[in-house]
Amino acid sequence: MAPTYDKAKIKAAAKARKAEVYVPVVPETQWGFIHNNVDCIGCRACEIACKDKNGLAPGPRFRRVQYIEGGTYPEVFAYKVNMSCNHCAEPACLPTCPTGAIFKRKADGIVDIDSTLCIGCRKCEAACPFGAPQYDPVQNIVVKCNMCVDEMEAGRKPYCVMGCMMRVLDVGPIDQLRAGTYETKARGPNDDVVNQVKHMADPELTNPSIVFVPHSKGRV
Amino acid sequence: MNTHQRRDILKNLINPNRRDVLKTAAAGLAASLAPLPVRQAAAFAYEPYPTDDELETVVTSCAHNCGSRHMLVAHKKGDVIVRLSTDDGRYQGDPWGTDTEEVPQMRACLRGRSYRARLYSPERLLYPMKRVGKRGEGKFKRISWDQALTEISERMVYLRDKYGPTALLDQSYAGASYGVLHKSDQIEGLLARFLGMFGCRTSSWSVPSYQGTTFSSRMTFGTIEDGNEDDAFAHAKLIIMWGWNPAYTFHGGNTFYYMRLAKQRGCKFVVVDPQYTDSAAAYDAWWIPIKPNTDAAMLAAMAHYIFSNNLHDQGFIDRFTQGMDAGTMPEWAKDKENFKDYILGTNDGVPKSPEWAEPICGVKAADIIKLADMYATTKPAALKASWAPGRNAYGEQYNRMASAVQAMTGNIGILGGCAEGVGKGWHSEAVAYPYDQNSNIWYASIKSDRWAHCVLNYPNVKREEIGLWPRQDALDGVIPNIRGIFWHGSDWLNQLTNINKEIEAIRKLDSYGEGESLLVCMDSTITPTGIWADYLLPIATHFERHDTALPWYKGHYYIHRPKVIQPLGESKSDFQVFTELAWRLGFGPGYNPKASREYFLIDDNVDEAYLREWWEGKVMHHQGVEISWDEFKKRGIYKFKLPEPHVAFRAQIRDGAPFPTPSGKIEILSTTLAQITDWTRTQYGYEIPAIPKWIEPWESLNHPKTRDFPFHLISPHPRWRTHSIFNNIGWLRETFSQEVTLNAADAKKLGIVTGDTVEVFNDRGTVVLPAYVTERCMPGVAVMHEGSWMDIAEDGTDRSGNPDFLTLDEPSPAGAFAYNTVLANIRKSDRIHRPGWDQLATARSAVFRRDQ
Repeated sequence: MAPTYDKAKIKAAAKARKAEVYVPVVPETQWGFIHNNVDCIGCRACEIACKDKNGLAPGPRFRRVQYIEGGTYPEVFAYKVNMSCNHCAEPACLPTCPTGAIFKRKADGIVDIDSTLCIGCRKCEAACPFGAPQYDPVQNIVVKCNMCVDEMEAGRKPYCVMGCMMRVLDVGPIDQLRAGTYETKARGPNDDVVNQVKHMADPELTNPSIVFVPHSKGRV
Repeated sequence: MNTHQRRDILKNLINPNRRDVLKTAAAGLAASLAPLPVRQAAAFAYEPYPTDDELETVVTSCAHNCGSRHMLVAHKKGDVIVRLSTDDGRYQGDPWGTDTEEVPQMRACLRGRSYRARLYSPERLLYPMKRVGKRGEGKFKRISWDQALTEISERMVYLRDKYGPTALLDQSYAGASYGVLHKSDQIEGLLARFLGMFGCRTSSWSVPSYQGTTFSSRMTFGTIEDGNEDDAFAHAKLIIMWGWNPAYTFHGGNTFYYMRLAKQRGCKFVVVDPQYTDSAAAYDAWWIPIKPNTDAAMLAAMAHYIFSNNLHDQGFIDRFTQGMDAGTMPEWAKDKENFKDYILGTNDGVPKSPEWAEPICGVKAADIIKLADMYATTKPAALKASWAPGRNAYGEQYNRMASAVQAMTGNIGILGGCAEGVGKGWHSEAVAYPYDQNSNIWYASIKSDRWAHCVLNYPNVKREEIGLWPRQDALDGVIPNIRGIFWHGSDWLNQLTNINKEIEAIRKLDSYGEGESLLVCMDSTITPTGIWADYLLPIATHFERHDTALPWYKGHYYIHRPKVIQPLGESKSDFQVFTELAWRLGFGPGYNPKASREYFLIDDNVDEAYLREWWEGKVMHHQGVEISWDEFKKRGIYKFKLPEPHVAFRAQIRDGAPFPTPSGKIEILSTTLAQITDWTRTQYGYEIPAIPKWIEPWESLNHPKTRDFPFHLISPHPRWRTHSIFNNIGWLRETFSQEVTLNAADAKKLGIVTGDTVEVFNDRGTVVLPAYVTERCMPGVAVMHEGSWMDIAEDGTDRSGNPDFLTLDEPSPAGAFAYNTVLANIRKSDRIHRPGWDQLATARSAVFRRDQ
């Protein structure tokens, strides 16, 4: 006979544990990404710029341009959803790390992994609802996007953003991106932005720092 | 290395600011993470990691054969390029981030961004190599430059003296050497000059990508400079992308971006294409799927609707065209058919109406009418007639038909309109290499994809079969006795049509006996063509020699390309190799007037002298540029600011200058073609009508051959390679895969799902590759991108999925390659597909069907 679970009790316990173990860092300014799902031509220059910048072999992909398509010939549609790490306000990866290698920066909210502490257990990989942590089998550690902190600190923007041929990918303070007050070419004069597009994990889970200009078929 | 040592290294690498931030971040973390083991996060994620500002920055550009050219910024440590970035606005002298409509950044695409992987790839050629096995077996040994050049030059002299001045075939192409100084080029490159001066050269005149288009533009407008600069697209109200996918193939530095601006300003988009491309998606275009090879018929039907409803611009027609209608026919051609009569069916009784075109094109008459109406009534409207539909049997008719439709609506020579075509825009100063009476000497010139036919059937070849270019001397009509091939920046064995026939031709050369033929490949990496060579000469990449980059197609800027690093291994620049060979053959000083024989060892001063002369004599003198060569070198890029967006033929339309045609008009009726009587004595070989006409292609979905081969295969340019360049780059093969695209309903009938290995075959060959099943492709059409590196299995099938095992080596009369005129069949297969020679696993990038 299958065991019976008290779902409410499990929920409460999980909630309590979460509260017990992790109070997220509240950054001074949370930086995040904006991506225009419609105007993106899906060229993946951002992906290669990232691979080159981070010296990655084929395999781990910090940034992933997802191709979405549907409809029935000849009434079809297609758009792109471009994600790397969403540098979540409440990162799911962070509390799973047994060595404390994952940290969230106070200044800008960037979530990063200290490669000297990572033991390659891959728990964070499983925890992330967006597939951001990438296992590197050569080094036996997990690696991921750090929003090019070195470039950000030099007053510039990440390689993916600066590599975007269509200017549809950008970074900015997430509050301003959401409010539409941040000047960015990613958002056209008639575009609005959303926190979630279809088939993307529920933003309530981790409060990801990303907004999209959605395709009409991608609206939730 | 223990953690402490690592931290010490890092302390030296990380700047003080960064350390402070990390401490702050770590402190915040520590405070909030009480139950977890607290350790100070001291390391940057990847170490040791020098930041950009700690590295030396050198501006250069990409250099492969695409219609654009973008900036690459090398960040190097010592003599090693650590990473590449691209234009961020500051190299012109503006603040970081400057990116305006007038002076946009020149951001590199995924191929450009992967150059480091190409530069340091395991496929790099580092030493001269000599074949030791059979041709095509891939067995080579390392030899010295002296041995290689001695043996090659001796063999060249032997072949020329024994077999005459046409024995060596020039198959140079724009591979990876496109600059103002180091130029591999089909017609006017360094090889052409070298073989021409040597006195033994058969030239290849038809250009694989766009011969139909160049022919059309030359006949119609008298020039291939029919292009607007990319910023002009931002001013269109309607853009019709006819077989054009600017998300894949780049023409000008920012065409795709200016089109985004047009969209934001209310421009409507239409795509006429068998595929719903990424361009269709990004510009939210109305998709009109069309049967491949039937474009001329649909354009004729649009012309029919426009004429029948009086939507044409009669004022424009009367003033600027020849042969559009009875009123514009010249006196000498009164007995010939004019375009309007052809379209209305006055003489042949067949009106080329939308209803006539519907069954040919597979496009509903109502849609043809709707599009024709949109195009004729929206001003200004850009009908961009791309190259791909011209890579067909009678492809030139499509391009000429498009020009006629552009002209009849008066959309030529105005901002927001379009006369492309070839699309060559702003005129750049492209030549810094020696250019004089020795530059393009040839003794025979043939249609490029007829060389195998010529070799296999020699001497029983008629001149029209190989498109022999006429000459005014005794060599006119002499069939070349090809005994050797030079591949310079060219992978043509892999890239021309009907590869199995080409291999047969190489076997024929083998049969002449060792030493009776010569195959030389000059490239920076091993290539599928190089595998078949007798000698492989390692050519320095554009990171390893001095040059200036320019986009050859459109784009008004120059990018300086210094010697970023020293050449790897023993590689030499192509100019160095040809100069040294010329010295050995007795014409060194004539070939490279600024160089002594030391040039083979030290090229810096000579290259600098050529480039400085070019900048000061041409760029500063002709183009009004004021900054000095030294200042240009310091900045790295010079972007011109044009007084108004460059629009082709503005001078003709606005100011009344004549078109550079025999009549001075837009020649819908071509004066040149109308006066040809003996077609066999022209380079075309076969008749081409003087006005644009629909001619049934030799294979199409309307052909009875579809009983055995029901799919029409097209082979567009990929975005993750430039032709075959970059096929060996793991990063790029990770982004997109070589696959055959099929319509979902077709695939269902065959029991094929995405990811299945299939074989695509016809009577010319069989290729094996995975399938991608989608609703975004027209039924009956299969799509396979060109350029994968052939990989022939023991049973003769190609495991890489190279469509040129299926294409036919019969060009269109005007010379257009018939790459897209192919019928084939498809079935599931147990055969093995190999995405690359290195056999690295590459996963198909996921496409998510998300509406079910």
